[in-house]
Amino acid sequence: MSGPMLEVAGLSAGYLDTTVIAGLALTVQAGEAAVLIGPNGHGKTTLLRAISGLITPSAGRVLLDGQDVTGRPAEQISALGLVHVPQGDGLFAEMTVEENLMMGAFPAASWRDRRAAVARVYEQFPVVAERASQRARTLSGGERRLVALGRALMRPSRITLIDEPSLGLAPVAIDAVYEAIGRLKESGATIVLVEENFTHVGAVADAVHVVETGTIIASGPYAELSADPAIVQTYLGSL
Amino acid sequence: MAMTDIVGIAVSTIILGSIYGLVAIGMTLIYGTLRILDMSQGSMVMVGSFIAWGILVVAGWNPALAIIAAFIATFILGALTQLVSVQPLMRRRSAIDFEMVTFITTFAVAMVLTNVALELFGPFQRNVTPVISGGISIYHGVDLPYQSLTMALVSIAMMAALGVFLARTRWGMAIRAVAQDLDAARLMGVPVGKLYPLTMGLASALAGVAGVFLGGLYFAYPQAGDLPLLEALIVVIFGGLGSLPGTVYAAYAIGLIQSAAEVIVGTTWSLPILYGVILLVLIIRPYGLLGKPSEARL
Repeated sequence: MSGPMLEVAGLSAGYLDTTVIAGLALTVQAGEAAVLIGPNGHGKTTLLRAISGLITPSAGRVLLDGQDVTGRPAEQISALGLVHVPQGDGLFAEMTVEENLMMGAFPAASWRDRRAAVARVYEQFPVVAERASQRARTLSGGERRLVALGRALMRPSRITLIDEPSLGLAPVAIDAVYEAIGRLKESGATIVLVEENFTHVGAVADAVHVVETGTIIASGPYAELSADPAIVQTYLGSL
Repeated sequence: MAMTDIVGIAVSTIILGSIYGLVAIGMTLIYGTLRILDMSQGSMVMVGSFIAWGILVVAGWNPALAIIAAFIATFILGALTQLVSVQPLMRRRSAIDFEMVTFITTFAVAMVLTNVALELFGPFQRNVTPVISGGISIYHGVDLPYQSLTMALVSIAMMAALGVFLARTRWGMAIRAVAQDLDAARLMGVPVGKLYPLTMGLASALAGVAGVFLGGLYFAYPQAGDLPLLEALIVVIFGGLGSLPGTVYAAYAIGLIQSAAEVIVGTTWSLPILYGVILLVLIIRPYGLLGKPSEARL
């Protein structure tokens, strides 16, 4: 039996002298969509940044497909097949939509196939295709989010981290975003998704982990946790 | 104004603007990408001048070779400067006044290079053979030396090549990506540890090529980079820190003001008029011609 795609053990990380996550453990199996849920400011984004190498953990381990990547710089972890759609999309504002997509295929192996990958993204996101030659900063929030998700499809990945894809979007745009995440899930991708509450994740979530004050306080299958009235009411808003 | 004056101003604007642009554009590339004012850029001009002197005068070889040799040598020197004076500070970026500390460390590199040149070649002003001699009269009373023409054409070609490199190639796009969003660029897999020296090497190589031509106009000597450095600083700030189009516009605007003032009121007053205009523009637009209040990013 093969091990988990992502294994986080005893992970602590933060900024300067503030510890945001402490001794956090998380396991994600291949093909699984794990949703991290919890109030803002409790370490969900910090956890993703520590996994992808944007910040260096102060303790603990991160294993990607069995390989220890703890403390490696983000560009190296990225090259091992980790794709991270950061909060706020991380688009290159002065570059065109197409250039943004092409950057998603930056590693040499995928750069050669970038044209075909761009064509696939356009096919999947006609809205993105329409905006191909516009600068990213001229797009609406919903269009930007779709470009960020499209860019995540530009190269083969072992795991895709997505940070609050519904943040700041109108309901219609959120539907489009979750349709895309649903397709990603159906394609067999391993996903770690961060959201503030249960509202949108029902169709994609396998496992749910509740993050509070820098640690995971409850874990379980989506069906189980979303049926627990104490958890739903205390932490997660409405369904 | 006589037709001769207008043609004279136009020719001089293109020549001056092109060389100002070539000296300054590397500074903008570095500022846009690394957020530092690279004070060693003048030294790269000086090194380029000495390489031109060595190849054209001492060895008597081909001018094209001087340009290529200056490009390669200052590329390596610029990349080394980044590794020595900037890269060690990168990790502590958020804990220090990064812009001010690197301003000083790159200035220190410039001082070292100046003194190495002084030690190797002495304080003498070396005549550098023009890359190409002769000239043509393009209008009554307006002469265009081939050296100036070549300098303008090579400068324009190199700025255009830089533009194409940044717009179309994998590494050029990576430089823009890093300038616009460092974290996102790293998530795409861009190895910033390699990209930063590459960027500073490239910028320095442009200044080095400018030095080949400036050596022919003036001389090769250890302080030959001081005035170009000052001019480059003025151009990049006038154009808006970090804005490549702004730098090009500023280079030609400064060339135009200087040329027009020289023809209309004479050489004595051209620099006071130039700096008066710069003062006025910066008081009205403190972030430069095309700079944004929040600093342009390539």
